[in-house]
Amino acid sequence: MTKAANAPITTLDPVTFEVLKNAFATSVDLMSEQILRTCYSFVIYSRDFSSALCDAEGNTVMQGSGDIAVHVGTLHFQCKAVLEQFEGDIHPGDVFAINDPYRGGTHFNDVSFIRPVFSEGEIVAFAQNKGHWADIGGSVPGSFDVNAKEHFGEGLRITPVRIWSKGVFLADVAQLLTSNTRAPEQAMGDLHAQSEATAVCEREILRLIDRYGTETVKTALRETQDYVERTVRRRLESLPRGTWETADYIDVDPGKTEGLVPIKIKLTMDGEGIHYDLVGSAPVVETFLNSGYGTTFSAIYAGTKTFFPDVPLNSGFYRAVTADIGPEGTVVNAGWPYAVTGFCAGPYEKVMNGIFEIWSQIMPERAMACAFNLEYLLVGGRDARGDSKPYFMWYDWMAGGWGGRASKDGSSATAPVFGAGLAVQPLEGQELLSPVLTSMHAIAVDSGGPGRFRGGLGIEKGGTLTDAESTVMSYCCDRARSITFGIEGGLPSIPHGVWLNRGTENEQFLGSNFSSVPVQSGDSFIRPSAGGGGFGDPLHRTPEEVLEDVIDGYVSVKRAAEDYGVVIEEVDAEIDDFRIDFNATTEKRAWIAANRQNWLEEDPAAIAEAYKRKEIDMLDVIRRHGVILDWGTGELFENTTKQYRELMSRRSAQHWG
Amino acid sequence: MSKVRVAVDVGGTFTDVCIFDEDSKTMRVTKVPSTPHDPMIAVMNGVERGEIDLKDVTLFSHGTTVATNALITRNFPAAALVTTKGFRDVIEIRDGTKDDLWDAYNDVSGPYIRRRDRFEVTERIDFSGRTVTPLDEEEARQVAALLKRRGVKTIAVCFLNSYANAAHETRMREILEEEIPDATVSTSAEILPEIFEYDRFNTAVANAVLAPLVSGYVNRLADELKSGGYAGDLLLLHSGGGSMTPRMVEKYPVRLAASGIAAGAISAKHIAQQCGYENAVSLDMGGTSTDIALVAGGELRVTKEWQVEYGHPIIFPSIEVLTIGAGGGSLAHIDIAGSLRNGPQSAGADPGPVCYNTGGTEPTNTDANVVLGRLGTSLAGGVKQLDKALSEEAIKRVIADPLNLGLAEAAQAIVSVANANMADAVRLVSIRRGYDPRDFALLAFGGAGALHGADVARELSIPTVIVPPNPGVTSAMGCLLVDVRHDLSQMYTGLASAADAEDLEAKFTALETEASARLRHEGVSDENALLQRQVSMRYLGQWRSLTVPMGTGAGALEQAIQTFHEQHEREFAFSQVGAPVEIYQLHLAAIGKTPKPSFRPAERSVGGPGEPSEVRKVYFGETGWVETPVYDRDSIPAGAKFSGPAIINQLDSTTVVPPNTHAEIDEWMNIRIHIEEVAK
Repeated sequence: MTKAANAPITTLDPVTFEVLKNAFATSVDLMSEQILRTCYSFVIYSRDFSSALCDAEGNTVMQGSGDIAVHVGTLHFQCKAVLEQFEGDIHPGDVFAINDPYRGGTHFNDVSFIRPVFSEGEIVAFAQNKGHWADIGGSVPGSFDVNAKEHFGEGLRITPVRIWSKGVFLADVAQLLTSNTRAPEQAMGDLHAQSEATAVCEREILRLIDRYGTETVKTALRETQDYVERTVRRRLESLPRGTWETADYIDVDPGKTEGLVPIKIKLTMDGEGIHYDLVGSAPVVETFLNSGYGTTFSAIYAGTKTFFPDVPLNSGFYRAVTADIGPEGTVVNAGWPYAVTGFCAGPYEKVMNGIFEIWSQIMPERAMACAFNLEYLLVGGRDARGDSKPYFMWYDWMAGGWGGRASKDGSSATAPVFGAGLAVQPLEGQELLSPVLTSMHAIAVDSGGPGRFRGGLGIEKGGTLTDAESTVMSYCCDRARSITFGIEGGLPSIPHGVWLNRGTENEQFLGSNFSSVPVQSGDSFIRPSAGGGGFGDPLHRTPEEVLEDVIDGYVSVKRAAEDYGVVIEEVDAEIDDFRIDFNATTEKRAWIAANRQNWLEEDPAAIAEAYKRKEIDMLDVIRRHGVILDWGTGELFENTTKQYRELMSRRSAQHWG
Repeated sequence: MSKVRVAVDVGGTFTDVCIFDEDSKTMRVTKVPSTPHDPMIAVMNGVERGEIDLKDVTLFSHGTTVATNALITRNFPAAALVTTKGFRDVIEIRDGTKDDLWDAYNDVSGPYIRRRDRFEVTERIDFSGRTVTPLDEEEARQVAALLKRRGVKTIAVCFLNSYANAAHETRMREILEEEIPDATVSTSAEILPEIFEYDRFNTAVANAVLAPLVSGYVNRLADELKSGGYAGDLLLLHSGGGSMTPRMVEKYPVRLAASGIAAGAISAKHIAQQCGYENAVSLDMGGTSTDIALVAGGELRVTKEWQVEYGHPIIFPSIEVLTIGAGGGSLAHIDIAGSLRNGPQSAGADPGPVCYNTGGTEPTNTDANVVLGRLGTSLAGGVKQLDKALSEEAIKRVIADPLNLGLAEAAQAIVSVANANMADAVRLVSIRRGYDPRDFALLAFGGAGALHGADVARELSIPTVIVPPNPGVTSAMGCLLVDVRHDLSQMYTGLASAADAEDLEAKFTALETEASARLRHEGVSDENALLQRQVSMRYLGQWRSLTVPMGTGAGALEQAIQTFHEQHEREFAFSQVGAPVEIYQLHLAAIGKTPKPSFRPAERSVGGPGEPSEVRKVYFGETGWVETPVYDRDSIPAGAKFSGPAIINQLDSTTVVPPNTHAEIDEWMNIRIHIEEVAK
């Protein structure tokens, strides 16, 4: 690189710039630290929150280093919305709240608090944090109503509103907000905790202004964004130019006949920047699995950032990464008044995983197959263990498997890509608070998508209701049909979906998206999280690696043979004595290689019948035949199967030598 | 021979030995290379090199990394987990989070016990302690027989809700002990009787995998010392800032998991106290990293959120130490966007800084200090020669030319960024606790702490820097300064307003009975035993709790609640007096007071530092190049006062006294640097 190209980017001296850039990060992390220690919502406590420092125009200068991915790239929209609304009427000591997904927010549960930072009578910056309240009202406990088509009744929509005015707490306004939730005291606790945390950031920025002067701090706020933009553009210089395309799918639009719902992603790199085009994605669906523009941009930024892990996040990044998400009315740009609360299980992860797939070609050394889908199970009603029968909410999410990678297996039992810092809850805490006895919390055998590098393993978790009254269950997930996929020849993992009373006469497969199913004491439920998709041809995985997986019980002896063609003999399981039958393995692998293309073309109706007759199991149906059924009844989804087979052909079959 | 107390602190590279002479009240130090394959060899080498006759030793204390290293390398004897049916993966699922949120190729390390070594038995107890499913004894015996067949040496028994009722765990232990008499068994409720299965299981598992190894090492060393004539108990420093004897290490080896880390913080507390500071922050800067600890109100901050590696919590009170990637070997570079950066990558010991001439080509903090004249070209009394020209070339090539800076300016820029990074880290540990760094003294030690201490203090508006007499072995001294200590806890969930005083008293009394038994087992006499009650509280609905001291007798709880409100206000800038407060846990610290060395203050002379050994040009950010006197630390008497700029050399460290500061040597032979503009 020439000396000129390497010239300093800042008009400040290099030390002052570096010091201020790092101090901005510290000011935001201090805010996060305080939220974590004072919050009331267990969802926030599990790290579903984020913090940012924005400049006077609302652009993000620094996001928290521990922030949840799903909030990335939405905080500046919220700050700008407050600016638009209150332009000329913002004062020292004010704090504003907003959660509006139609103005760049995520979903109603995510409430932002925004405090202006003043110096010499003018706004220099804004301190903001956003946290997921466990409930924000609406028709369903936890405010996740899968069946909602419009936002009315989903929960309280908070357009920009003042909560503190010149240092005076507006108790009436705060009360209006918190009274519209199922846990008003908790909500009020979080409202205070989050607002106070913004003051921590303000104090730090004022200290910097005191030390370095207003103008220097303002310059640094601007140049920190330039710095990030420049970092990304420099990286692009060594990356190929061109256009890449893929599509990922939501399971179904209940308003239409069965069939996968496409989200299209095109990426163009022209040397100038990273441009995405989502035009051609499906119209809004008749569930709440739609995305507003804020969260679609968030998915784009977070997906891209995965391939630039060390670049700080701010509006400079958002200048280098641009997108055309098309007109309103689609799953990726729903617009008012369509329901968007389920974006996180719907378009969000589809856009992220589609971006993973594209970048896996651009940066093959960082390639990764599809990860499991974010899932939320909500069981809410009255806890009849005590006389007062208080309201309870068993609000549960699981870890799962991430995709196989170019040089190693996928990461098992990991938080969703939606937020790799989102902690699963300790079940002893859940049992204390709700009348649900957990039946298992274990790694799901054979859940990792087979591949040269296996997908990470998913989890299985279930429970039994002990003393519950007036209780309903809802589930927010996806990928019971658009199953977590493999790439470069790798195979899919397993479908998501909840089973009620599995293994009994009353067994029912409820699927991956449902609302308010009545349940009562004695009912049991269980659901897996998917593993990650496989990377590369499973027939190329070494038999020794498969053997180790069998000894640890990650892969069954049966699937070792069916998916990997590795025949393993159990000699003495008590002392881990399993052996590879090498001759049988060679034979089995040859047989699979010779037949597997044909298996993907067999008559789906016949496959469905064989499944109903229990001649073949679910994993055979998916991994061998690419056929998608209702996993409870065995009913064939013809259109879905046709689409899924095309995908498997592109992502898996075409790579088999 | 006079009686001595000995402290041995094992580090990655060196094993440090501190010898305190009880007659002369003076301390001497020695360093020997560590012997990672068997750390005991270095300990005994240190004893020999220090010319210690073990018969003269009245107290031998030891900080060891044996447990830490075993956890990192997963080098354990055959271990197994026995757990509730359906839950054998609790320690592998963890809470699912990644440490590195964005790098999809950077994974959390695997569990301490592999899945194949985790076994289930049928049993279930609910949240209230009620048995839902009795322990299936037949199955339990089958598992025991299986473990015996597999040659398992140590076993963790972890059942759900055992914090509420440990009967099944206890019964399982009996069965295991009957079937495999020579195996060690750790039950989760005994190790950590607290709610949250993942924390409790993992702590018990860590205890189990360490048991044979750590107690084996400790007993071996105790025997070796005994045969050499040492008549007392070997004291092992644990992460909670106390010590324990080999007798308790057998049962709670996991407490040694951070044995080494706490030592520096304990020294810092001692030095602050000695100098009359209630509040201090320590900057222990070595070759690759800096440890920062906070002393507030005379006490070290304690945390329960601690781990050797991300994802594997060990829930015992531990001294809170923040480690950041800033050390003498941290690399300065220009990043892809043209910005100057410093660390966290480090040249480490290999290849080391450029000036060592051992293959390093990228400039480090050490190189910048050499170029600026802050560090001389001859270290450790002439043992190590530094090549300044190599440093100059590297800084010119990597930093000065790309940024269009002069050589000295570039070197100064490197040092300034390093200082700012350390100041940010100090800010994080102090401000996030609601403390203002200006109320603190800064203790600078470690090999490189004293080079940067004064500048970091200025950055933080801290008025005073204290550099102890032997900055390079300050940590080891910490081992001499601790009491025997055990930390016990018990769950107690309920509103403070509804708490039954008698019930609370009974629970504390039960903890005290257990604690006294432990102290007696350690050989602590009753008059030296001290029991301290604490209680964790939170506002009803909050997730985190704060731990505050609690007295005894009438009004103790009310007082504790009052303290809770005050502490919440200080740490988080708000409190909610009047809102319902919930009690979460009861804690008891059992302390067995151990005699401490009483240092003898030196006679203070009046006057200056004496003649400099040399005068050389040193570059300071605020003045540019200045003729600066260089003193030998050994030759400066107590009471000496002088103004910066000055450089003070000693065997294991170099202290920079910048312009516009005043230095004095106090009666404990610490250098105290007062920063002028801050004092104003």
